[in-house]
Amino acid sequence: MSGSYTAAHTPAPSTSAVPAVLMSAAPAESPTVSRDEQAATAVNVPWNVVVWDDPVNLMSYVVYVFRAHFGYPDAKARTLMLEVHHQGRSIVFTGSLEEAEAHVSALHGYGLWATYEKAGEN
Amino acid sequence: MAHGFKRTRKGITARFERPEVRLLQKLFSDVATTLEPEPREDADPLESLVGWDEEVPEPEDPAVRRLLPAASSDPEQAAEFRRLTDRTLREGKTAALRASSLALESDPVLLTPEQAQDFARALNDVRAVLAARLGIESPEDAERVGELTDFSRTETVEDYMAVVYNFVSWLQETLMTALLKTLPSR
Repeated sequence: MSGSYTAAHTPAPSTSAVPAVLMSAAPAESPTVSRDEQAATAVNVPWNVVVWDDPVNLMSYVVYVFRAHFGYPDAKARTLMLEVHHQGRSIVFTGSLEEAEAHVSALHGYGLWATYEKAGEN
Repeated sequence: MAHGFKRTRKGITARFERPEVRLLQKLFSDVATTLEPEPREDADPLESLVGWDEEVPEPEDPAVRRLLPAASSDPEQAAEFRRLTDRTLREGKTAALRASSLALESDPVLLTPEQAQDFARALNDVRAVLAARLGIESPEDAERVGELTDFSRTETVEDYMAVVYNFVSWLQETLMTALLKTLPSR
């Protein structure tokens, strides 16, 4: 997670056209999907939503998402954000599979790196 | 020169120079293009038409993988999640990028909290794509890129992209400061 960025001076973009570098998709090794046998899923096992650290998302943005999306108070949102930042991950929600999936989808919409997992797995 | 976003009684507002508007609109549009589903040879035309995906492979472009990450360490679960959410996520992100691009046409730019949230998402997605192109994977990488803030001293495309990244980061930070003030204080 990136800290508060404060520019000493506001950089002014030049008038020249932006190069189309954003579009150049670099090839990557294709992922191998292993078809492991899935353990039978217990019906009432709760699921965790985990948010992972990354060097890009601003701390203020992550706090905002935790407050705006989950409705968490500022103090809780900051505690969770710092946990992500210092420990690499944080469980931000625990509930049913359906709820966990919906939250992960919403968090991806915000651009956070979120996953869901059965509670007690990690 | 931009002054960043501020919260006022009318809403969240900012003034931009014309080149800054053009730069941001170009970035929003590039990310929207990046988010168009990767063409697949085996795609069933009818399935594409009705928006049904039998299977959605993990994106090959690392930037798109940042925007649409795997939702589970279990590959089967991640694949199923992707199949069900990929299209909606791409459409949601593209909508926020388009709306933000349009909002930039007003001078000054004036946003409701909802529009400001879309703008924050759009800036965040731009930063994610730039970060992938710049190879930012660790705090050290971020620090190295963070040192470049002067457009007049860019010598390479990568330098230029780094300055753009820092400009967008700075802008998003001012937006978050303004947007956080709109939330009920608790």
